[in-house]
Amino acid sequence: MFNYRNLLSALVFVFIAACGGGAREESAETPPEQPSQPAAATPMDAAQAATLSGKVSFTGPAPKGVRLRMDQDAACAKQHSGPVMLQEVRVGEAGGLQDVFVWVKEGLQGKSFETPREEVVLDQKACIYEPRVVGLVTGQNVKILNSDPTTHNVHPLPKQNREWNQSQPPNAAPLVKTFAREEIMIPVKCNVHPWMKSYIGVVSHPFFAVTRTDGTFEIKGLPPGEYTIQAWHEKLGTVEQKVTLGAQETKSLEFTFSG
Amino acid sequence: MVQHMNPWKRFVEWWKSLPRLEDQPVPEEDPIISRSLSWPIAISSLLLTVTLLWAFYNEGWGLRPWVRYQNRFVELYRKHLQRIGPLRAEEERALHESEGYQKLQEQLKNAEAEIRNQLAAINAEEQMVRRQLDALTPVFTTERSRIQAVIYEIETASEEDRERLRKELEELRRGPFEVDLPVSASAAIKIEEKQFSFEEMEELFNELKAEQGRLQNRRIVLLRRPTEIRREMEAYLKARLDGLTTAQVHGLMAKMDQFRVEIKQIHNPEMNLVDRCESCHLGAREPVLVTTRDMEGMKVFTSHPKVELLTLHDPEVFGCSPCHNGNGAATVSTSKAHGNYKHWLWPLYKRENFEAGCLQCHEADRNLRMAPVLNAGKELFYNRGCWGCHAREGFDSETRELRDARKMVEDLAASRQNTEIVIERTVARADRAATNEEADRLYAQAESMTLSMAHMDTLSQRYRSRIDELLMEVKTQGPNLKEIRAKLRKEWIPVWVSNPHAFRPTTKMPRFRLQQDEIEAMTAFLWQNGINAPVPAQPPGNPSNGKQLFETRGCMACHAMGEGRDAVGGTFAANLSRVGEKVNYDYLVRWIHNPRERLYPYCPVHRRDITPQDYASKGLPFEFSLENNRCPLGDHSLQVQNRTVMPNLRLSWEEARDVASFLMTQRKADAFYPPAPFVDQQLLEKGRFLTRHYGCHGCHEIAGLEESDKNATDLTKEGSKPIERLDFALLTHEARKEDWYNHKGFFEHKLADPAVYDQGKIKQPLERLRMPNFNFNREQIDQLTTYLLGSVDSVIPEKFHYRPTGPPRDIQEGWWVVMKYNCDACHQFEPGQRTVLQDLPRYQDPDWRDQLPPSLIGEGARVNPEWLARFLKNPALSSTDLNRNGVRNYLQARMPTFNLSDGEVQKLVRFFEALSEQRSPYLPPPIPALDDGELALARQLFTHPAAPCLVCHATGDPERDKNSTAPNFLLVRERLKPDWTERWIVHPEIIRPGTAMPSGLFRWDGTRYVFALAELESFKGYTGDHAHLVVRYMFQLTPEEQRRLKAH
Repeated sequence: MFNYRNLLSALVFVFIAACGGGAREESAETPPEQPSQPAAATPMDAAQAATLSGKVSFTGPAPKGVRLRMDQDAACAKQHSGPVMLQEVRVGEAGGLQDVFVWVKEGLQGKSFETPREEVVLDQKACIYEPRVVGLVTGQNVKILNSDPTTHNVHPLPKQNREWNQSQPPNAAPLVKTFAREEIMIPVKCNVHPWMKSYIGVVSHPFFAVTRTDGTFEIKGLPPGEYTIQAWHEKLGTVEQKVTLGAQETKSLEFTFSG
Repeated sequence: MVQHMNPWKRFVEWWKSLPRLEDQPVPEEDPIISRSLSWPIAISSLLLTVTLLWAFYNEGWGLRPWVRYQNRFVELYRKHLQRIGPLRAEEERALHESEGYQKLQEQLKNAEAEIRNQLAAINAEEQMVRRQLDALTPVFTTERSRIQAVIYEIETASEEDRERLRKELEELRRGPFEVDLPVSASAAIKIEEKQFSFEEMEELFNELKAEQGRLQNRRIVLLRRPTEIRREMEAYLKARLDGLTTAQVHGLMAKMDQFRVEIKQIHNPEMNLVDRCESCHLGAREPVLVTTRDMEGMKVFTSHPKVELLTLHDPEVFGCSPCHNGNGAATVSTSKAHGNYKHWLWPLYKRENFEAGCLQCHEADRNLRMAPVLNAGKELFYNRGCWGCHAREGFDSETRELRDARKMVEDLAASRQNTEIVIERTVARADRAATNEEADRLYAQAESMTLSMAHMDTLSQRYRSRIDELLMEVKTQGPNLKEIRAKLRKEWIPVWVSNPHAFRPTTKMPRFRLQQDEIEAMTAFLWQNGINAPVPAQPPGNPSNGKQLFETRGCMACHAMGEGRDAVGGTFAANLSRVGEKVNYDYLVRWIHNPRERLYPYCPVHRRDITPQDYASKGLPFEFSLENNRCPLGDHSLQVQNRTVMPNLRLSWEEARDVASFLMTQRKADAFYPPAPFVDQQLLEKGRFLTRHYGCHGCHEIAGLEESDKNATDLTKEGSKPIERLDFALLTHEARKEDWYNHKGFFEHKLADPAVYDQGKIKQPLERLRMPNFNFNREQIDQLTTYLLGSVDSVIPEKFHYRPTGPPRDIQEGWWVVMKYNCDACHQFEPGQRTVLQDLPRYQDPDWRDQLPPSLIGEGARVNPEWLARFLKNPALSSTDLNRNGVRNYLQARMPTFNLSDGEVQKLVRFFEALSEQRSPYLPPPIPALDDGELALARQLFTHPAAPCLVCHATGDPERDKNSTAPNFLLVRERLKPDWTERWIVHPEIIRPGTAMPSGLFRWDGTRYVFALAELESFKGYTGDHAHLVVRYMFQLTPEEQRRLKAH
C-alpha cells in the first residue's frame, strides 16, 4: 500500500542524511525516587519548647447515667457494694469535663518523634476498664492487666489498625500490645461483659492529654508553631481550635461542649 | 503463377515493397535532433532514486518502529536493573546477616564438619572405583560387542558352520585381555597390568558398578542433613526476600546483553493466534515490576498491571489480542497494531472497557474475581431489567428452561402414548407368532418398551417438579401490575409513568417517550385491567417502632432512604423516600408481611389468573400456596407467588403494620397529584396496544401479556455485530468525523440517550425508537458498554472457554443465585468484599458491629450441607415460631425466607461446599461417646470461670439469652462439622478476624491442645486433646445436659 506518511518521512530522511545530521530521541531524565526510610526523630530544641494548657468545660444539664447490670457475672457484681452507674458525660467541679482526649491534630506534619519506652497501663478492675480514655504514641507499648477474679477478653475495634480479640483469665500475664497507625479513637470492649468500654487514642507524636476530673489538661514540650488542637469526647464528638505558639510560650485554651 | 509462390517469398516481396526511410525526404524539424528527453529522464531518475531510497528506508526503519522501541527498552531496562541491583543486594545482605539465617548457616557448618571425614573417604573410594571403571570399560565393552557379533553369527549360520564358530567364541572368551588397572597401594595409586578372561572381566565390571552405586547411596544418606539445611536456607531467603535475588537480577542483565532486536511473537496455532505485541510492550512479562517512572515515562514498557491474570492465563497460550483486541500481527505502526484504523473491525479496548475481553471465555460467570467493571455491568443488566426486553444468554434462563420443561413434559406424554400403542401391537403380533422363538422375541421387545415407559414416567416426574421449581424461580424486575388497584393511588400512576426519575431519581423504571394521550391511555388500561379485589383493612401501627424495625431488620441492605446525597442504604431495590405518596396502607402491610402473597394465582396453561369463581365452580375453597398449587381447572401447577425477589422477613402482623406506618410517613409535605379519571373502553384498548408496544410486560406482570415475547434486539452477540448493522442513522457522518463510528461509540451514545439515533428524523410517534431512558451516569454507561462490547462471538476455541465441571461449576452457578437475591448485601463470600450493611452509618458503632449478619467465608467448611439446605428453606428453623432467626436470634437483622426452589437451595449448598473445597456428599464422621470420666472433665472445661461459654452463647432461656451474642450449642450437632468446630475453638481469630469469640482459649503443648486459661487439677492424668474433648462434648450435648450446665 502506498503510504504518504512514509514517503514524507523518507524525503525528510534523505534531507537530513544530506545535511549530515541525525535525530535522537531525548527524554527528560528524572532520577528515581528513593524508597522512604523510617525517619529519625526530628531534632528539637528543648529551650524553645512551648506549653499548652487549658480546660474543657461542659454547659447545660449533664445527661443522666445509666445503671450497669452486672448480675450476668457474679464475680463482677460482688466487687461493687451498690448499684454501678455509668456516666458517659462526667462533669467535675466548675463544669470541667473529664476524660476528653486533647491532641495536636495538625501542625506537626513532616516531623517525627521517638516512641516513648514507658508502657501505658490499661487495667480491668471490678469489671471496668481503668482508665476509660487513654493515649498512646504509635508503636508505644500498652500493658493490659486483669485485676479481676473473672475472665475478660480484650477486644479493640480499630479502623486503621489491626483488630484482635484475646481472652485474659484471672492472674494471667498482662497483654502487651502496640498500635502502628494513628487513630482517634479505638474503642475497646470485652465480649464477656458488654458494658465494659475504653477508648485508646493512638497519635504519631507525644503531644496529647486526657482531661483530669476538673476538665484541665496540659501538653508540654511543643515546638513553636501553628497548630490545630482537637478535643474528642466519646459521646459529644469533637471540637477544634487553632493556636499559634511562640518559643517558650505558655498558652491556655478553653474548649466547650454543650449538652 | 503468383498463386503458386510460397509464403516466404511472398513476404520478402512485400517487405521489399515497403518504402524505405532513406528514400524519405529529410523533415525540416527532426525530433531526434531538435528535441531533448534529458529533462524527463532526469526527473524520472531522480524520482526513481528517491523511491529507491524511500524503499530502503521503509524496509529498514519505516516499517519497523519496534526496532527503536527495542533499543530504547534495552537501554532503560538495563539502567533500571543497575538501579535495583544494589538495593536487592543490600536487602539480601541484611537477610544473610539476620539471626535466623546465621543460625541455619551455623547448623550447616556443623553438619558439614560432622560428615567431612566420612565424606572424604567415600569420595576417595568412589574416585578409585571410577578410575578402575574408566580403565576397564573400553576393553570390556569392545570385547562384549565382539562376542555378541559372534553369537549373532552362530544364530544365523548354517548347521555345519556352527561348530566352528562355537569354538571361535570359546577362544574369544578365554582371552586373555590386558587391562591397565589402577590399584591403590596405601596412599599412592599404581597402575597394574592385569590379564583377564572375559568372565573375569564381566564379573569385575559388575562388581565395580555395584560398588559405585553403594558409594553414591552412602553419600546421599550422609548428605541428607546438609541438603535439608540448604533447602531451609533457600526457603528462608525466598520467604523473606520481597522480589528478585541479586542472582536473578544479574540473570536479567545478562539477558539484556544478549538481547536480539527482532519481532517478538506469540504463536498458538490452536487459537489461530499470532501476536507480536511484545515487540514493543517488552516489559509486560518481566519478572521485575516495571513502572512508568522506572522506564522514564515510556508507558509502553511497563509491566502488565495484573500479574495474577497472566499467571492464570499463560500468555504463551492466550497471547494478548484475544483479551485486549487490536491487530496482534501488525508491526508497522502503533495505530495498525492497536487496530485503530478503518479496515480493522476490533480496535483495542479502551481503558474503561478492558474487562470486556474477559467475556471471550467467561460468559458463564456472574461474578468474576478480577473484573469489577464487567461484574457491575452484568449487575446493571440484571437489576435494571434490560433482559426484560432484550434476550441475553445467561439472563432470564428460568423462563427459557420453563418453556423447555413444559415442552419436554408434553413430548414425553406423547411418546408414552405412542409406546403404549406399539406395545399393544407387538404383543398382538407375538400372540399370533408362528414360532415360540418369534413370540419370545416379540414379548421381550414389548417388555423392554414397558420398562422404557417407566423411565419416561420418571423423567416426566422430574420435569414436572422442575416446572414447579421454575414457577418459583422466574422473577420480574418490576412489580406485579395486576395488583395495581389494591396497591397504588390512581392519581400517582400518570405522574409516575410520565417521568419516573422526577419522582425517584435512582429508580429502575426508565422514562419512556410518551405523549400525554398515551400516558392517559396506559393508565386507563393498567387500572381497568387490574384485579378488582379488596385487601383486608389494617389498623394503624406505630411508626417510630416501624422506623426502628426498618433500620435494624435489614431492609436497608436493599432499600435506601433519603434523596440525593442523603440517601443511605442499598441500591438493589427501590429508594423508599417518597413511598408514602403512592401506596395504599392496607396493601403495604400485606406486602411487608409477605411480599410473595398474590391476590390471584396465575395459570400458565390457561394463561390467565385463576379467580375465586374458578375455584368455586369446582366446589373448591379459594386457597392456594406453594404446597397447594394445583390448578382447579386442570392437572397442572399454578404460579402462586408474586415474582418479586423480595423475601419474607417473617415479621408479625403488628410489626408489618408498624413498618408500613413508618413508610406511609415517607412523603413530601406538598405532594399533590391531579385527579386521573381516565376510564373508558376506547382508552383501555389504546392503552393495551401501547403497553405491549413499549414492552412494559418485559418487567411487569400484566394481565393478558404474560406470555408475550421480548420486543427488542437479542444482545448475546451484540458486540460482534457488523458495524454496518448498527444503525447510526443520520449521525453516521458525525460519528465518523468525531471518531466514534464503532461499537463503543454506538453503545455509549445509545445508553446515554436511547433516542439519539432518531435525531433529525421525521417519524410518527409509534415509529420512533422505543428504548426508554434509564438515567445512567457515566460510570454505569462504561460498565454496560464493557458488558456489551464483550458480548461477542468468541474468537477463542470452545475448549479454552471457562465452562468447568464439578466444584468450579458449582461456584459458577452459585454466584447467579447469590446475585439474584442480593445475598452479598448482607453476607461476605470472598475476602475483601464489603457488604452494604457493613458500610451503613449504624454499623460503624462498635456495639452495633456485632449485630452484622455473619460472614460466610468458609461457610462450606463450617456447616453440614444437609442442615444448610434445611436452614435455607426455613431460616427460622421452626414451623411454628417464625418471627425469629433460627441460629442467631440475638441479631436484630433478620435472615429472611426467600422461598428458594429446591434447585436453588441445591445450587447454594453446592456453592458453599465448593468454595471451601469440601468433598461431596458429606458423610459426618462418627464421634466417639464420652465415658463418665471424660464427661466430668468436659463439663468442667465448659463451665470453667476462666472460659464461661454460656455467658455469650444462647441457651434458649429468654431471660438468660438477653445478653447472648453467640448461637446455641444445641445446634452444634446438626449444624456444624466437627473438624471445623475444633479449629474454630482453637483459633477463631484465623477463621474470622475480629470475631467476638475470644482467642487463646487453648494452647499447643507440643503434642496436643490444652486449656490455656487455668491449670486444672482434675486434668492431671488426662492425656487427650482438650479441644477435641470439648468438641466431642458439644456434639453430644442434649437439652437436659444443657439445663444441667445452666444450673451450674
